[in-house]
This record gives sequence, structure tokens and C-alpha cells, in this order.
Amino acid sequence: MALGRKRRKKQPFIPPKLQITSMMDMFTIILIFLLISFSEDPNAIRMDKDMQLPKSNAKIDYKTHLRVVVSQTSVKIGEEVIARLEGDTILGMDPDNLNRSDLYRRLKTFSPADDTTSDDHRDPILLLCDKRLSFKVINNVIKTAGMAGYPNFQFAVLQEK
Amino acid sequence: MKFRRTHRRPRGSEETDLDMVPIMNMFLVLIPFLLMSASFIHLKVVNTSVPVLGNGKASINQESTIKLTVVATLAKNQIDLSVLSEELEPVALSKWERVIHISGNPQEAYDALSSHLRSIKEAYPKSDTLILVPDSTVIFEKIIQTMDVARASENGPLFPNVVLSGKVG
Repeated sequence: MALGRKRRKKQPFIPPKLQITSMMDMFTIILIFLLISFSEDPNAIRMDKDMQLPKSNAKIDYKTHLRVVVSQTSVKIGEEVIARLEGDTILGMDPDNLNRSDLYRRLKTFSPADDTTSDDHRDPILLLCDKRLSFKVINNVIKTAGMAGYPNFQFAVLQEK
Repeated sequence: MKFRRTHRRPRGSEETDLDMVPIMNMFLVLIPFLLMSASFIHLKVVNTSVPVLGNGKASINQESTIKLTVVATLAKNQIDLSVLSEELEPVALSKWERVIHISGNPQEAYDALSSHLRSIKEAYPKSDTLILVPDSTVIFEKIIQTMDVARASENGPLFPNVVLSGKVG
């Protein structure tokens, strides 16, 4: 009686198929969600890393007309640096002669030529101010803006959860 | 004679698997890019204005309802409240004056401010303007918190028009 090993018939190796359909579904959903949230806000604001906005319970959405950014180091209109900050002092801005500052001159170029518009209907400035700034700095900025023909402001804040 | 339907596939049409790998690669590039550029910050705004010179056509309230303007002077350690009105006598106005001290827990001061503003609003419901006069050393975050309290409370709106003004003199 022969006790030999039973020889099995060797099966050819078939590489396993990766089931990626569910992964594709997931990726498609994520992609659509991201594309929608990307296109939702074309005027998305880019902020500096060191910028800290205050939190508020405000629920009003912003309108982007003219954006003034006051950080702890500079005053910008849009992306253009107008003045530098040293502590609580805006360099090149005399609080007694605000209409001689670069900020005033630059804002004046944006303000409408006709002064017939009533104050209530003038477009507000969107002010992005760091929460650690003192009112001394902000007051000089808003006073300058008021003199340049922008008495209405919108302070950008982060929505409280 | 019966003709049976054949379920045979036509010749040449074999079951083919779609090659999804390039699409997956594209997705793997697109998703991190979109995630990086997406913003998850919900930006909102607080409306305010600065006092401006009138043009001589100031609206005089013809209605019997009296409108008050609240002035809140914000210092580091206290909030001074007073009211202005052309229609009330100084004696009547002075009863709304109050000093709220900000000690250890600022929330207590904000609660006191809210309840005082609520009582003014209940007495003069047409009033809607508060002039906030912060001290030059007060930080912006504190100003926004005070504005939040002044605009509305849990029981409804208080003084939605908050005007920011610097100290004169």
C-alpha cells in the first residue's frame, strides 16, 4: 500500500481585486462638499496667522467693500501695508492731524467723489482688528476713516458657538 | 416550431473592469488641496458708526414716546452709565445714572449692565441708541463684549445702534 502524499492540483495565483467602489463613493461625496464650500464664499478673507479676532454673538454677514486690517504690527487696506504699528502708536500718524496721514490719503482715493450720499447709505468699511489692540489705536483708525468719508463700520468678529 | 431566445452575449463584448486607479489618484490630490484652502471660520460683523456732524435737519421726535440715548463710558475697571434726552428734565435723567464696577468676574458686571439697560428699554421702548465711549487703554475684545451686551439680551433687543466714540478732551 503506497502511503504517498496526496498531491493537490496547484491552483494558479490570482491577485485579489481591491474593492474600491465604496472608497470612490466616499471620495466623491467629500469632493463635492469641498467644492461647494469653496465656491460658496468667493470673498473669503485671508487673515494673518498672528491675527486674533474677538468672538461675538453677532449674526450679520459681512459685505466686502473696503477692508482695513489693523493687526499688532501694521495697518493695511486690503493687502497693502499703509502704516506700521509700534505698541499703541501708528507710525506716521499724528492724532491731532489725522488728515495728513497716509491712511487718510489712501482712504480718500476710495471714497465716492460726490458727498451727497447720506451717512446712513454710505458703504461701511470692514474693519478687521486684533482683539488685543487698545482703543487708542482703533480710535485713530476709525476717526481717520470718518474724516475720509466712511462714518459706518463693520467690525469683523468670529461667531461664538 | 419553437424559437428559443438565446441569452448568449454577442461576441466581442467581454466584461471589463473600469480602471479606477487614475481617478483615485486625482481625488487624492484634489481633496488635500481643497481641504487646505477651505476656510472653516465663520466670520460675522458688528455694525457701528462714529458720531458725525448733523446737517441741521435732525429728526425731532413728534411722537409722545420719549427716546433716550444711553452713554456708556467704558474704563478698565468700571462702566459709567448715563442717559441723554432733550425731552426729559435733568432730574429725570439722573435717576438712570449708574456705575458698574468690573471686579474679578466680568460676567457679573455684564449681567448688571444688561439688566440696567433692560430697565431703561422697558421705561422708554423707543430708545435704540447707545454711545459707547471706551477709555484709550481698553482692549478691543472688551469693547466687543460690551457692544454684544448693549445690543441684545436673552429677552430681546436692547440698543441695536451702538455708536463708538472716543473721549473728548
